[in-house]
Amino acid sequence: MGLSVEGLSFRYPGRDEPVLDKMSLDIPDGGVFGLLGPNGAGKTTLISVLAGQLRGASGRVRIAGRVGLVPQDYAFYSMLTARENLRFFAAVQGLGGAQLGRRVEAVAAFSRIEGVLARRAGQLSGGLKRRLNLAIGLLTEPEVLLLDEPTAGVDPQSRAFLLESIRSLARPGRTIVYTSHYMEEVQEICDRVAIMDAGRVLASGTLAELLATAGSEPPPPSRWQRNLEQLFMQLTSRSLRD
Amino acid sequence: MRRLLALWQKEWIALSRDIHGLAVLFVMPAVFIVVMSLALSDVFRDGGGRGAEFAVLPADGGAQLAERLAGDGFRAVDPPASEAAARDGVRRGHPALVVVVNSVTPPSFRLLADPGLPATQLAAFQQRIFGVVLADAFGFDLKRAAALEVEVVGNPRGGRPSSVQQNVPAWLIFGMFFVVMPISSLFIVERREGTLARLVSQKVPFSLLLLGRVGPYCVVNLAQAALMLLAGVTLVPWLGGEALVLPARGDLLAAVALSTSLAAIAWGLLVAVCARTMEQATVIGGVGNILAAAIGGIMVPRFVMPENMQTLADASPMAWALDGFHAVMLRQGGAADIAVPCLKLLVLAAALLGAALWVHHRRRA
Repeated sequence: MGLSVEGLSFRYPGRDEPVLDKMSLDIPDGGVFGLLGPNGAGKTTLISVLAGQLRGASGRVRIAGRVGLVPQDYAFYSMLTARENLRFFAAVQGLGGAQLGRRVEAVAAFSRIEGVLARRAGQLSGGLKRRLNLAIGLLTEPEVLLLDEPTAGVDPQSRAFLLESIRSLARPGRTIVYTSHYMEEVQEICDRVAIMDAGRVLASGTLAELLATAGSEPPPPSRWQRNLEQLFMQLTSRSLRD
Repeated sequence: MRRLLALWQKEWIALSRDIHGLAVLFVMPAVFIVVMSLALSDVFRDGGGRGAEFAVLPADGGAQLAERLAGDGFRAVDPPASEAAARDGVRRGHPALVVVVNSVTPPSFRLLADPGLPATQLAAFQQRIFGVVLADAFGFDLKRAAALEVEVVGNPRGGRPSSVQQNVPAWLIFGMFFVVMPISSLFIVERREGTLARLVSQKVPFSLLLLGRVGPYCVVNLAQAALMLLAGVTLVPWLGGEALVLPARGDLLAAVALSTSLAAIAWGLLVAVCARTMEQATVIGGVGNILAAAIGGIMVPRFVMPENMQTLADASPMAWALDGFHAVMLRQGGAADIAVPCLKLLVLAAALLGAALWVHHRRRA
């Protein structure tokens, strides 16, 4: 098991409603696991609890190995160059010397940002920023990689590149948890999916398993996206969230 | 240690590219030093400023002394009938000063002074009695004259600084405390953009994140100190003011500057942790600094404040810092003389840092 959550609850200070409500979820080792849910479903909060950013959650969380986080925000220093950012985040995570240099070069090559390493991060395009964000999350070669909407606000080319890259990261011993609003992304790269709302998991399984719950038998793959969207709306209702 | 060095390096790079923030830290105190040193130079100059009336008691035999003391704005008036009348007169400010001579051998002197008289005037008059007139008029040698006991009616004050001695450390301290602005703004940007959360997820302790600011800002503060002292030594006299004379003990000066820096940085970190927006940080940090400066004798020298305000001034960290700088720069004091102000500043720094950690943990809990 790559990651397991049991009876996880979390409430922000001063709020009555829990954001995570006795949530349980098993994510197998290896592959890409998609977390789908409308705004306010608790996806980002779950990622934050798993990454250790939020304290005060009750329940059990078991994670096999080091955790890497690629947050929704461009969580790097816009005043620093891309290389300075990579070197800084590598150093604060304990890397040093030749190993630090090797990892910086490796993640820069993987994310195809070698050509912009000397440029200030704040001056990069949206797509390059997303790739730098991903590269920082990969510096320590984490066994569990948490990706919170890593393609938000990028052009189709960058999105295609990011999805391809993320898919290529999946291997036995490395679990990728991926949150998104986009059904086609989930269909393209995820092996398993959970649909969540109001801090609870409403359905979980492979795409074929999930779609089978909506009808008598799974539709052909060409109709998965439409059917996944129908299932999503059916489970989470059509009401606007924000 | 590697992680701390990485944090220092990051902070240093980010700060060095914040041109506007750096300009505030260096240009603002330099401008204040030059403008205030020149504007207040007459107020601080011995014998300068507005004149004052004085009398000598007893009248017989004191006329010669009164004649010798007159000048440089000090005007001799008819002496009061008795010491009691002199006290009443002084209390009303007419005359502002009365020298009471006890004609024994050797003679002793008491100076009755108007409590409302500017301290610089009082100092100038004392200097006339001691340094020039007594020795000249009565043939005492200076060494003996200086040993004479003089009672100052009102609140005796000593060790008053000149304009440049007051303004260089004062505005330097003010500038040093303004590191609150870049510290809090960079911190709030980190929090807003998710960088801080990412560092927390990477198991970087929050205390280390705070310490990661201390090194670079200490360097900035010490650079401020060096440049502002240099401005006092070179720029102020070049523009027609009095030159700052540096003390012999540079190490003590550095110790005071370092203690001040740590208190200022810790204050900046607390503001950074407490403020949720840039606007809040600007208001809390900026207004806090201005209040501390107004109370602590930065904007108005403490020795011209009324007594209750002087008591209040003792509560301002900027006043502690100024005491430390004056102990070294004005009184040529030693380590024992700066120990108390430095200790106060360091205890404050530790308390503010502890408060910043407490606020952070309380919010995360």
